[in-house]
Amino acid sequence: MRLFTVVVLCTGLLGAQVTNERILNAASEPQNWLTYSGTYQSWRYSTLDQINTGNAAKLALQWVFQSGSLGQFETTPLVVDGILYGTGQDNRAFALDAVTGRAIWRYQRGLPDKIQACCGMVNRGFAALGNRLFMATLDAHVMALDSKTGNVVWDVAAADYHSGYVFSLAPLIVKDKVIVGISGGEYGVSGFVDAYSAETGKRLWRFKTVPGPGEPGHETWAGDSWKTGGAPAWLTGSYDPALNLIYWPTGNPSPSDYGKDRTGDNLYSNSMLALDADTGKLKWHFQFTPHDLHDYDATQVPVLVDADWHGEPRKLLIQANRNGFLYVLDRTNGQFLSGKAFAKVTWAKELSATGRPILEPGSEPTETGTHTCPGALGATNWFSPSYDPQTRLLYVSSSVECDTFTANAQKYHEGHDFIGSVYVPAKGEKTSGAMRALDPFTGEKKWEFPYSSPPWGGALSTAGGLVFGGDSEGNFIAFDARSGKVLWHMQLGAAIYSSPISYSVAGRQYVSIPAGGALFTFALPEGAN
Amino acid sequence: MVAICCWPVAYGQQVPASAAAVREGASLFRGNCSPCHGLDGAGGGRGPDLTLGRWIHGGADADIFRTITQGVAGTEMPANSFEDSEVWSLVAYLRSISGVSKPRIGGSIKAGQQLFFGKEKCIACHMVGGQGGHLGPDLSRVGAARSAAYLAESVREPSKELSLGYVDPNNHYGIPLEYDTVLITTRDGRKLKGVAKNEDAFSVQLLDENDQMHLLLKKDLAEVRHEERSLMPAYTLDMLSDSEWRDLLAYLSSLRGESF
Repeated sequence: MRLFTVVVLCTGLLGAQVTNERILNAASEPQNWLTYSGTYQSWRYSTLDQINTGNAAKLALQWVFQSGSLGQFETTPLVVDGILYGTGQDNRAFALDAVTGRAIWRYQRGLPDKIQACCGMVNRGFAALGNRLFMATLDAHVMALDSKTGNVVWDVAAADYHSGYVFSLAPLIVKDKVIVGISGGEYGVSGFVDAYSAETGKRLWRFKTVPGPGEPGHETWAGDSWKTGGAPAWLTGSYDPALNLIYWPTGNPSPSDYGKDRTGDNLYSNSMLALDADTGKLKWHFQFTPHDLHDYDATQVPVLVDADWHGEPRKLLIQANRNGFLYVLDRTNGQFLSGKAFAKVTWAKELSATGRPILEPGSEPTETGTHTCPGALGATNWFSPSYDPQTRLLYVSSSVECDTFTANAQKYHEGHDFIGSVYVPAKGEKTSGAMRALDPFTGEKKWEFPYSSPPWGGALSTAGGLVFGGDSEGNFIAFDARSGKVLWHMQLGAAIYSSPISYSVAGRQYVSIPAGGALFTFALPEGAN
Repeated sequence: MVAICCWPVAYGQQVPASAAAVREGASLFRGNCSPCHGLDGAGGGRGPDLTLGRWIHGGADADIFRTITQGVAGTEMPANSFEDSEVWSLVAYLRSISGVSKPRIGGSIKAGQQLFFGKEKCIACHMVGGQGGHLGPDLSRVGAARSAAYLAESVREPSKELSLGYVDPNNHYGIPLEYDTVLITTRDGRKLKGVAKNEDAFSVQLLDENDQMHLLLKKDLAEVRHEERSLMPAYTLDMLSDSEWRDLLAYLSSLRGESF
């Protein structure tokens, strides 16, 4: 009877519009995946528990969707009432029957030559509102597609791709706005976070992540270095509706590994920004890595948790940062509460009482090379962590790699690489990775499962007591969230470059993950539950 | 005639080899080429020494331009998408470092070949021209692909910089596996020693010292230990005299893959 009710409900909603109310309350409809990180708190946690520690070993492949391209398939699909919407490499996009994997429509944007995408022709997914889907493109446009047809509704240019401006992230819907942040830290762009009207595509506000002359923070850049300062904003942020604040992380200053021409802290690179959702005005910022020399973008998902902190209820922001520290901030004001290393860190001794790193002398890149941990790709990267309210643990896919950083003074050429260094894995040191379960309230590591190489797949936790993760060897794995024991794994044939999602249709729970050029979806065999 | 007239069209306007072009080329070289060819261009673990003035794929400016932009088929040298002016700066820089060092191997190629196939039994583990063992890297064109200094070190101290093995084309940031010694103990007490052809969190594919392949699940193994050292013996002076070492290097340096 209960199952019947769910079936009727789902059928009734088929094709229903995604409203702000639904996104705000996304946790209450776990059959869907309505926004990049699942909810505005960005826990990437599903309350579905049909697949659980007792039966995960029976998981079986249900369908495979081929995107039509190889390369890194980094999308987080959205699922709305039985239809799965995803983006692919080279700004492909598709809508699928979420039960069968059959395509309802496909779209591919025609892209110009010579796009400067540092790290692949990737896209990390859609945002949805009303009957529209929003995609930010490799040629720096923001566009709306009709969710029933894939037809283009509007298309606006945010910046000039010739200069190295690129979008790779999934937008975030806040109220009537489509929020996006630019990529291009390898090309000396000027970073920004933009808000566009979901209705018309008109730009409503822009927050520039590198302050211009006369603006606070401009003094943190030597000379004209701000003009090519980078500080991109290339990963989807989080939102607190009660505070009306958007939390958006930023990336490295340019050139990323050569700092002699940009002395100063280089605000707002490698920072967490708290922006007023209506105006884009900066409420507070916290800079994790001032004057970065190792490409430690802070573009990792900010996880919002309300919890007791030393006996006092606080609104927390938790981030496992690429620089190797796990941070806890007060998200009402940006106050630093704690920061503990969750990986090997040799560039800083520790963090001060205010969260500023106390640098290890001699850790800057030199002519002949300096050995530093984490390496340039970080202790973690853009792929998602997951916060499980049942275990109160943060699951972080982590790299074990140190690099030799070699300084290289470099002249800026518009639209060209502007990195200022060569970094290579340190000779004679084996690189690897791990799925780590961290207690954000103590900084303690509860368990870890070793991966053979640095991972690019994120984590999903579920009310079934599971954590799903994927490694660069192509293994998709279900762990027991409390112990880290592997309950199930499947070889998908290519490196995993995304983070899993879960949804349900007609009372049946599914888990999806891209690998190689394909999207794989698993469930328990029919009748197994 | 046609080719000569068309060089400027095909390859853009060559910049004069000014000091500024050399500086620009040096910066580009450090940023893009040094991971394989070494910071000073004298060869690294993956690329040949470019300071010798020995241009295997053509030594005219246009040849070097072509090698940089189009790569070299059948080798590890990839195509690169620089602006034409940047390529000419790189050519200017390469000219500035070319000829600064000379190969000082000496030695007899023929005597080295006899050592390789005879007394030292290198052929038992390494393949040349389609013949030989499977355990170590194929050396058919190692003389074209590696610097003499790297080869010299690889014979005396093979563990100093391990050769690279399996490369996963689907792992875009992946680091190739290394030819290091792997020691495995199975749960039923068997011990195996060899190199991992591939490995992940759940399995390992091991080629053992006797050229036998073992396809193993980690759940059946008590231990998988990476020794971070080469399986190849270090040919110290008591095993290989200086003159034999030079002969062997002369032979290895002569291997350019011509038989293919």
